[in-house]
Amino acid sequence: MQPPVERPYWNPYVAGFVLGLVLLTSFLVMGFGLGSSSAATRLAVGTAHLIAPKATEANAYFSQYVGPGKKVLEDWLVFEVLGIFLGGLVGAYSAGRLKSEVIRGEGVSKGHRIAMAVVGGILMGFAARLARGCTSGQALTGGAILSLGSWIFMMCVFAGGYLVAPFVKRDWR
Amino acid sequence: MNVLPLYPHDVFGFPTGLLLGTLIGFAFGFVLERAGFGNAKNLAAQFYLTDTRVLKVMFSAIATACAGIGLLSGFGVLDLSLLTVPETFIGPHVVGGLLLGIGFIVSGYCPGTGVVAMASGKWDGLMSIVGVMIGSLLFGFVYGPLEGFYKSGAMGSVTIAQALGLPFPVLAAGVVLMAVGCFLGAEKLETIFAPKANKPVPASQPVVRNRAFAAMGAFAVLGLVTVALPTRVPAETATPLARIGAVELAQKIVASPQDLWILDLRDAKAAPATERIPGTVTLPEGTTAAKFAATLPATRTLVAYAQGDVPTLPEGLRAFPGEVLVLAGGFDAWKGAVLAVPQPPADPTPVLIAEFRTKSALSGYFTGAAAAPPPKLVVKAVAPSAAPKKGGGC
Repeated sequence: MQPPVERPYWNPYVAGFVLGLVLLTSFLVMGFGLGSSSAATRLAVGTAHLIAPKATEANAYFSQYVGPGKKVLEDWLVFEVLGIFLGGLVGAYSAGRLKSEVIRGEGVSKGHRIAMAVVGGILMGFAARLARGCTSGQALTGGAILSLGSWIFMMCVFAGGYLVAPFVKRDWR
Repeated sequence: MNVLPLYPHDVFGFPTGLLLGTLIGFAFGFVLERAGFGNAKNLAAQFYLTDTRVLKVMFSAIATACAGIGLLSGFGVLDLSLLTVPETFIGPHVVGGLLLGIGFIVSGYCPGTGVVAMASGKWDGLMSIVGVMIGSLLFGFVYGPLEGFYKSGAMGSVTIAQALGLPFPVLAAGVVLMAVGCFLGAEKLETIFAPKANKPVPASQPVVRNRAFAAMGAFAVLGLVTVALPTRVPAETATPLARIGAVELAQKIVASPQDLWILDLRDAKAAPATERIPGTVTLPEGTTAAKFAATLPATRTLVAYAQGDVPTLPEGLRAFPGEVLVLAGGFDAWKGAVLAVPQPPADPTPVLIAEFRTKSALSGYFTGAAAAPPPKLVVKAVAPSAAPKKGGGC
């Protein structure tokens, strides 16, 4: 089967408007918005629980996810993120963008980019737990419901990005 | 008559919720992919101002959803009080935001877009998610010493609208206006920074753009109309809340508890059983006081209380057909007026002593402690008094 020809991206304002409608739907149906990072957290804690159940349950932070009668993956956000993956997969395939590759600037190696992705990911995973959400759960969702802390968080995300961007410029050139 | 949001109104159960969550997530992931967020270069470009796609998509989405919430709640189909507002913790939000921003530009993704990139076959996307998992575990390992900071600057669920004392739709209109201003500024910046980096300036597509602006603007304007509508006088200003004092309530509980429904409006998790007024109705699992009130027969007087004062009655209580009273000052007032051991009056008069006796008896009744003896009445020389003289008589 021939893969679909590559389609252009949507106009960003149209994509934003449609994304806003999806977010609004989540609020109207569930009473809360979207999220991402906590699904990764649950997957990680669930894995840790498989390897070292006692130690994981004894941890003051992880004990909210695992313990007697708690099913770490039976959570709305886990299913929602499963949906994100499927939606992304269908979106990428149908637009001819499903391709095994490493996105990087011309001057950097694949290994460098993979290492940076992991390091940046670790920072984000830590930060998202500290701030109780990431760009989805705090900035997008909390932003739409006008949560004071979410707006502070969003401003700080941009500030942090702009602050460090000059130092990693060659990764993206 | 508000019917939204559906899930808190018990329209469907948890398993259906999971299915709907998958569908909502599917739409989320699909749109993120179409927005170009499955590719780190499109995301990183935001931080070099060569392509401000991230700002445009994110802020359009926030403005649209925000104005939509304002509009629907303004028309009374959506109960704003049932929407979850992420709680504010100033310190963690500032530090977490900065760290996440740094992680964003270093990895090229945020956690949500990383999942989309992974689904698009991008190995860097997959590895950023692996990083997020490791980072989550790291946070758990250092949670002990961090716990104090993690819980610092707690302000609870507070919206900017509440903080400024403005109706939600007014703030939403402000967000739409601000967004459009930011977009026009960002497009200007692109024309400066893209050529400097030898990148093409992103196409502006003014016709499509203006249509999107018009759609967001329409939501905002309709929301503003609901604020101006004379029919939208909030019920709580139309009928002032009837209040009952803590001491009066305590006396009623002692005298005729069978005439009262006492409802605790606080979150069940926030209020342990010892921190409740005796006789408070125990709510069945998974319901709220407001929802439960609608199921109660109006044969008794309903008394509602929160931690402090209750400024407005929740929807369900307003619908209660019988008499509804609100405990003035809430549980804090109850603690101060009923549970606390009363201080004997410094300048005892018969009235003050009677009051002290009542309070002391109530405090004893509700705390289980023996009532303190009343102070001696000091008879002032000038006042002719019928007070019994201690030790007088035979």
